[in-house]
Amino acid sequence: MSTSMMECERTGRDAGLAAGLALTLRGTAVADIAPGRYAAVPDKDLPDGAAVRRHRLADGEGIVFLECPGERPADAEGLAGTGRLLAAVRLGLVRRTLDQAVEHLSDRLSGGEPLIRKQLITGAVADVMADVEMLREYATGQAEPVALADVHNRIDDLGWQVTKLFGAAGYLADSPGGALYVSALAANTWVPRTEVER
Amino acid sequence: MIDFDARLRAVRDISRVAAEDLRGRALAIDADPDAMDAHLGSPWFTLFRQSDTPVEYRESIPGGVPLPDGLRMPDRRSCLENVVGFVETARGDAATVLACPCPGLAGVLVELLGSDAQRERFYTRLHGGRTWAFFAMTEAAHGSDAGAMESRFVSDGGGGWLLFGGKRFVGNGARGGVGVVFARTGRSALSVRAALVEVPVVGWSGRRLETVGLRGAALGELEFDGVPVSGEMMLGEHLPVTRRGLWGAVKTFNQVRLHVAAAAVGTAMAMAEYVGEHRKGAPGLSLALARTEAARELVYEAAALMDRDAQRGYLSSAAKLGATRMVVEVARWASGVMGPGGLLEHPLLEKWTRDAGAFEFMDGTGNVQRLHVARGYQAGDADGRS
Repeated sequence: MSTSMMECERTGRDAGLAAGLALTLRGTAVADIAPGRYAAVPDKDLPDGAAVRRHRLADGEGIVFLECPGERPADAEGLAGTGRLLAAVRLGLVRRTLDQAVEHLSDRLSGGEPLIRKQLITGAVADVMADVEMLREYATGQAEPVALADVHNRIDDLGWQVTKLFGAAGYLADSPGGALYVSALAANTWVPRTEVER
Repeated sequence: MIDFDARLRAVRDISRVAAEDLRGRALAIDADPDAMDAHLGSPWFTLFRQSDTPVEYRESIPGGVPLPDGLRMPDRRSCLENVVGFVETARGDAATVLACPCPGLAGVLVELLGSDAQRERFYTRLHGGRTWAFFAMTEAAHGSDAGAMESRFVSDGGGGWLLFGGKRFVGNGARGGVGVVFARTGRSALSVRAALVEVPVVGWSGRRLETVGLRGAALGELEFDGVPVSGEMMLGEHLPVTRRGLWGAVKTFNQVRLHVAAAAVGTAMAMAEYVGEHRKGAPGLSLALARTEAARELVYEAAALMDRDAQRGYLSSAAKLGATRMVVEVARWASGVMGPGGLLEHPLLEKWTRDAGAFEFMDGTGNVQRLHVARGYQAGDADGRS
């Protein structure tokens, strides 16, 4: 794993999505490289007067969507670099929320036993971490757009697996599940997926 | 494959007409679920409320609510008719269906456990279409473990009760005017009871929870600090002790589990069709539509089986598990196929991708359904269906 991937994953895990996205986009001319009409950026890095679209859940995570009108030539290399680093940030966020889920499940009892000891739950936790390990390798050095799209699709799915561990509490706007939704929404603006079969 | 007779076709077709109205309200309700005044006059809301109410308790509406020729609302006693209706109305917008003031889950329980006087009180309170009903069972610390609930009915010494404790993830919790609350009178499983409660009442407080999606459901959190509950409001007094509390909750969930599955199917169809309309030739569209149609057929089949044999929940749990997985998969596909930033350009689609997650947590999570499916399979319920 390159240093910057490691740094991005650590930042995503320790400080969350906005800090990780800031690191991902450091030195990037967002409006020149964004693949669509909107690009997720950290709220705090927004230039004065920039036109943005806001989203209720993203606001809570310190993320806004910068308007990037007009057509641009595709910058495959630049986008691949952003896609890799953003994957690392998102994997860090999955780790961050999985840590929270395990704590949550250790405190909850069902039939007098902590939920974390139930086999269905333990298996789900193990599957998440096995996927994290695989996806980290998959993303590292990855330059193939279709593979990077696949990486992010799988991280979307992984986020949902973690969200479910919280039960209905994971569906609250200010919960880890809300943060994972915003992670997917942010990646939706940065990683083209249209060629990947689901 | 379920054959649609004239009755089912009439239900399906009227629900499709309603769906257009519901969809037009979807984004406004998502933006502000508290601002319902503009929607409560919808004739469709009146029709939903009336059809979800037993005939003897329906309000008299001068001139009635006209139905298009040959169309009819679902018979509330038929699971299949309701599921057919829900698939279509959720194709309009599931959250808007849930925002409609209706008897809903509470109505199912009041019918199962309520006396005539309690039924009359409950349904009459809903007349006029400006009062929501709540079904307060889930607690913050015991989501799927209802037997461990901590809310208590404490005797007031005069034949009545005082309610203490709290509930979470209650649809219409903070805005409800009448509903049912579960709590325990003692330690045993049979001590879990349900009472009819009318709000406002002393000792009762509630707040709406901000959710990722399905905001029309207005999930809320409730706290009870000595809420007075008269003895005559306790449900099931006329029933055997084994049929007064949790039995009613289990029966209620069995009846409505497929409504949740139908809402998931309808939401998935809405997303797939939206993509088809806005991005011609989108890769994966045929597959997405084929998957949603398969899930719809399974939900129909499970509903028909529920009408024939309500005791066997294997297929309804399998259908709910499959439909809730499928809608999330379709949401992921739809998110990608609209291109980078496409969700921000299509707010209705983006809203549905948020709504898609809610069905997992309603009426038993995926893990709860897995346990039901495994038990049913081991009991032989996967075989011998005609």
